[in-house]
Amino acid sequence: MRGIRAWFLRLRNFFSGGKNAEQDFAAEMQSNLQLHIDENLRRGMSAEEARREALMRLGGIAQTEEMVRDRRSLPWLESFAQDFRFASRMLLKNPGFTITAVLILALGIGANAAMFSVVRAVLLRPLAYSQPDRIVRVATLWTKSGHQGQVSAPDFHDWHDQSTAFEHMAIYANYEMPISVGTGANAIAEFPMATAISSDFFECFGIAPAIGREFTSDELKVGGAGAVIVSYGFAVRSFAEPQLAIGKAVVADGKSLDIVGVMPPGFGFPEKTDVWLTEGIFGEETPSRSAHNYRVVGKLKDGVDLAEAQTQMTAIGSRLEAQYPDSNKTKSVAVTRLRDFLVSDYRLTLLVMLAAVGVVLLIACANLANMLLARAVGRIREIAIRTAIGAGRGRIVRQLVTESVALALFAALVGVLVAYWGVKTMVALAPPDVPRLSEAGIDGGVLLFALAISLLASLVFGLAPALQVLRVDINSALKQSVRRAGGGTLADRLRQGLVVAEIALSVVLVAGAGLLVKSLLALQNVQLGITSERIVMAETSVPSTDLDTAKRGIRFYSQLQPELRAFPGVHNVAATTMVPGYTSSNGIYFVDHLPTNFDITGPNAIFTVVTPAAFATMGIPLRTGRDFNDGDVYDAPFTAVINDALARRTFPNQDPIGRMIFCGLDSGKGMKIVGVVGNVRQQGPTSEPEAEIYMPYLQHPQPATNMRVIVRTDAEPGAITAAMREKMRVISPDVPAKFSTMEQALSENIAAPRFRTLLLGIFAGLAVCLALAGVYGVMSYVVGQRANEIGLRMALGASPGEILRLVLRQALVLAGMGIVIGFAGAAAVTRLLASMLFGVKPSDPATYAAVIGIVLAAALLASYIPARRAMRVDPMVALRYE
Amino acid sequence: MGEKTDVWQGTLALMVLKTLEMLGSLHGYGIARRIEQTSGDLLSVNYGTLYPALLKLEQEGYIDSEWGVSDNKRKAKFYRLTRAGRKQLAREAKEWGQTTAILARFLAPGEEQS
Repeated sequence: MRGIRAWFLRLRNFFSGGKNAEQDFAAEMQSNLQLHIDENLRRGMSAEEARREALMRLGGIAQTEEMVRDRRSLPWLESFAQDFRFASRMLLKNPGFTITAVLILALGIGANAAMFSVVRAVLLRPLAYSQPDRIVRVATLWTKSGHQGQVSAPDFHDWHDQSTAFEHMAIYANYEMPISVGTGANAIAEFPMATAISSDFFECFGIAPAIGREFTSDELKVGGAGAVIVSYGFAVRSFAEPQLAIGKAVVADGKSLDIVGVMPPGFGFPEKTDVWLTEGIFGEETPSRSAHNYRVVGKLKDGVDLAEAQTQMTAIGSRLEAQYPDSNKTKSVAVTRLRDFLVSDYRLTLLVMLAAVGVVLLIACANLANMLLARAVGRIREIAIRTAIGAGRGRIVRQLVTESVALALFAALVGVLVAYWGVKTMVALAPPDVPRLSEAGIDGGVLLFALAISLLASLVFGLAPALQVLRVDINSALKQSVRRAGGGTLADRLRQGLVVAEIALSVVLVAGAGLLVKSLLALQNVQLGITSERIVMAETSVPSTDLDTAKRGIRFYSQLQPELRAFPGVHNVAATTMVPGYTSSNGIYFVDHLPTNFDITGPNAIFTVVTPAAFATMGIPLRTGRDFNDGDVYDAPFTAVINDALARRTFPNQDPIGRMIFCGLDSGKGMKIVGVVGNVRQQGPTSEPEAEIYMPYLQHPQPATNMRVIVRTDAEPGAITAAMREKMRVISPDVPAKFSTMEQALSENIAAPRFRTLLLGIFAGLAVCLALAGVYGVMSYVVGQRANEIGLRMALGASPGEILRLVLRQALVLAGMGIVIGFAGAAAVTRLLASMLFGVKPSDPATYAAVIGIVLAAALLASYIPARRAMRVDPMVALRYE
Repeated sequence: MGEKTDVWQGTLALMVLKTLEMLGSLHGYGIARRIEQTSGDLLSVNYGTLYPALLKLEQEGYIDSEWGVSDNKRKAKFYRLTRAGRKQLAREAKEWGQTTAILARFLAPGEEQS
């Protein structure tokens, strides 16, 4: 305690400069002297003698003052401040060098700080719930594939009842659900994310409605009254004041439900849910153990750790597997911390980017080390002179290190600006579903990080030049020319080694970026099977509860289509339940007849309900047979269209037209196959097309209440959506619609790959630019060093072309070494990227060839200017200089 | 002066505190003289040792200083024990007593343990 107090006083004296204290001390010494003289006089000495004796006893005042001064303030801090002031002056005296160095380093530091800010917000910061570490996701683990997925209701109940590790465990299911607020012409209908929950759901998060109350057990019951709780945002959007939401009704799934609670602002689990409904309003839970329609969240009991919970759940999983072999074979349970689950999609991407940006900083440090080495050579004389007049080597090294620190601190200042801009850019470029990205920003933690890495960097790049000074021989340095004294093969090797390292590191980044670019191109070039240009989509849903009300849907779509077709610029109008990236239903199918005793492991197909002309509108080619038409009505014989994939699998070398097919979409009736169409990659570009059965909407009224209206048009999407919205409102005001274009929907499929490709591309570009600067610096230095030799060669008849080749050859040797080492690194590192690659192997030869091309070209470009300078060396001047 | 010993740093602080306890407030010259006298002129206290020690004690809050006027009407800076200093003195004196007692037992002749 006392020590700390003293330390603070000394720190304060350091800042106040201690002027008063010094005067005070001098006065005190004077008074001591006087007291001593007085006493000597009293003892009877003569005035002269009294004074002489007192002065002698007083001792060296300067020495005493020096010791007191050391104690008064913090001497090491004082000498650091002195060094720092001197360093800043030195840096300001050479603004070209300083600005270049600060900018290079600031780029590295800023990029790192920005990436750190993002990683911290997304991966590191705890969830904003109470006791976030105890909230877990519980999922079905498929032991064969290692895949984790949704949960069946009976499994959940067994988990819930048999486990003891959890304080709460709740089941939920979420989907974008058509929900309307208000009635009649004032109704607002939209597709918010809605989540059906069981009891204990909110308890898992330790959260309760901010206004109103939670569901009662009556409301939660199957067949009970039901109720909804809405998000704060939804309440404000729909009712202006959140308090006004309580007691208002919303219509969901054809039922009118009262709002009983409004959650606190910021709570929207899962996936930005706006409306939480009681699970019971959808009737009984699906009783099959093979229907994995739910998700499960839990809260661990206090003191139970993840491993314990996992062990217990694994045991329960094996018990269920033994008990229900038909449905639970190869099924177990996985318990994951909720945060880890939420960020699992982006963890690898972000960590790879963090590593990449670290490499950029390393390259920047190598560059700076090189610049400082070159500068230290220029300062050899200055240092030699300072050594000669008595500065210790330690003192000089400290001075040089302080200069590095000063550089790093300036760079950190600029770097924070870079980071501020970088974070904003990254947030803007990132795919919308990165969790918690919006929380990324520049705060104290990021500033501290920037400070820490800049100091670390200053050690990395400041060490080599500082140590070099220790090797300087003062005598020769004072005697010889600056150029010679700074040489020495070791320093030259160090300098070239740094450049080789820069090239190698940038090869790794460029290779990684190259692979990602190639993947992205491959993704974009995948033939989805549809023509996506100029298609406007509207996701719609007609409220219905049974077959009769479902027929409203048919009326809605059949009225809407001709109206839209009449718009100017509209070529085609249709509706479908499947667009790439979104399928609504799939399951098992049979041909020719419905077996009495069927094998549920048979082939599956995607079930899609369409209106006539859907194939033409989406550009799906009709291979044989016919499209649906207005004759395919409910009372006519049922028909179906299949895709190539299904035809090839089930009807190899046969004509499927006229055969019967059965599936369990909404009726068991057999459907006659009337046509075959081309494949569509229904799950987006990364997965293969699956078998698909198309069915006409008039024959499947219930599934046909949720379709996407698709319009192929030359008109501006904005204009056409406004017109579509108006038409829909006139026909049926309570039908919610969500508009987008097919291209928007498809680009969401590749938002994540595009993001990481862009980021890594930027980092690789930075790396190459820095390496370029490094090569330039070293080659300029080399040309300067070899000026005599070059002059001699020219005097002996070497042509400028030969000189050019001489310099370029040396640059190529450096680049070649860098490339070889970089390839070894890239081979090891790009394997980490394997899961991000599409249509390209980590060892793709074309990519590596391109990397060689880019890096060699950069190295040649960077050494061309110094090489030109070498060509213009005047042999006379060069020789005389020696 | 050859036979005089320079005062040991560690014990100087204790001597200063004890001196101030005995005499109340005192200037630097007086402290130096007093310590030399008390030691029977066996110790020599120079300002290069005394002043850093005084400054340290003051920074640690054990003593206070104030300009005042001496008996013979000279302006001087007077040092005074604070309450924390009094406690510190008691503590250190006790520790010192223990240390010397232990050492005395080691160095005392004859009294062997059985």
